[in-house]
Amino acid sequence: MLFFLILAVTGLILNHGAWLGFDGRYVHAGWLARWYGIQSEAPREAFRSGHHVLVAANGRWLLDGKISGERLPQPVGLIELADIFAVASETALYLFRDDGELIEKLERGALPGAPVQAIGSSARGIVLRTASGIFTSADALSWRPLTQRSVLWSAPAELSVAQRQAYEEALTPGVSVQQLLLDLHSGRFAGRYGPVFVDLLALLLAAVSLTGAWLFLVPRLHRGRH
Amino acid sequence: MNWRPRRSLALLMLALGAAAAGWVRGEVYQEPDAFVAEVFGTRPEAKVLWLTKDIQAQAAAILGHPPAQLRQRYWSDAHRSVWILEEIGKEEFITAGFVVADGRIEHVRVLVYRESRGGEIRYPAFLKQFRNSKLAPDNTLDRSIDGIAGATLSVGAMERMARLALFFDRMSRQ
Repeated sequence: MLFFLILAVTGLILNHGAWLGFDGRYVHAGWLARWYGIQSEAPREAFRSGHHVLVAANGRWLLDGKISGERLPQPVGLIELADIFAVASETALYLFRDDGELIEKLERGALPGAPVQAIGSSARGIVLRTASGIFTSADALSWRPLTQRSVLWSAPAELSVAQRQAYEEALTPGVSVQQLLLDLHSGRFAGRYGPVFVDLLALLLAAVSLTGAWLFLVPRLHRGRH
Repeated sequence: MNWRPRRSLALLMLALGAAAAGWVRGEVYQEPDAFVAEVFGTRPEAKVLWLTKDIQAQAAAILGHPPAQLRQRYWSDAHRSVWILEEIGKEEFITAGFVVADGRIEHVRVLVYRESRGGEIRYPAFLKQFRNSKLAPDNTLDRSIDGIAGATLSVGAMERMARLALFFDRMSRQ
């Protein structure tokens, strides 16, 4: 009974995942990650700048104590300016308002060069060190080469063992809801023989339906002949 | 298929990790930069539209969710504006370029497609439906867009982005 319920519910949710808001969602649980054999990495370092702290691991960011998105790149630095702060990865620059709201994510075409190797701040604004040189911008719209060298570069700070453990728990890798539902529905969640078990249940259900129909129809057919 | 979930998901997670690291960028049909340069002949300076509370509310109504960021980059001359937008189809972002001229969509192109299914939305036969479309008073398109079997969510994402491009164009000219 439970198995049929799982099949029915997972099937329904799979068909209406978008409407139910499950698409793009992830489930984060240590036991689930271990069950799926996903290696969880503990963060080794944090980026700190003024009022903001960023710790990243397993494609997730813990930004000022809040989880920020999924499948995010490993940051290379964090800087704070007057009323904004910025996080750089090798391929993107994220500008945030002071309250943590994303102003804009800049990717390849909007960056002065790639990969971004470091982010810093100067009197002129944001500074990026890229493979093509060092560039600065006040608004992250237009970039110019930086000649003066008084830049405060963002550098990571090592985390203690206790901090790593605490952050690792917060940054547990996720399994997509879509994947989880598919595995539950197909039986793969239970391992190699799960799909075989689901197949047997399907055959059993078919047999029950056919024998039920037989038991219902045959007496009526006999009665009709007499 | 005798895949254990551990193994299959470990592979999936590897792919996701690679995507996160920027190794896998989806199917790139044209770099956004190249699209802008193709429209204008050269690459003009980018401008930004700040999404005020009112614009955010209207954009959220179009998208069905709040816009991801507070400012939107675009490129324009006297008549045309170019918007590079991203929206999730089912699980992944679709990046598309929209050229808006005089309040109507002049040209659409799918620039990056990351979903595993539904890539047919990049074909001209589908995209030409958007040509000359404009916003109706309720911020919907003035025409219906025919879907593609198996690409329903991607088609929906394209339609939402088309409406958003037209809406942003209107806001940028106020």
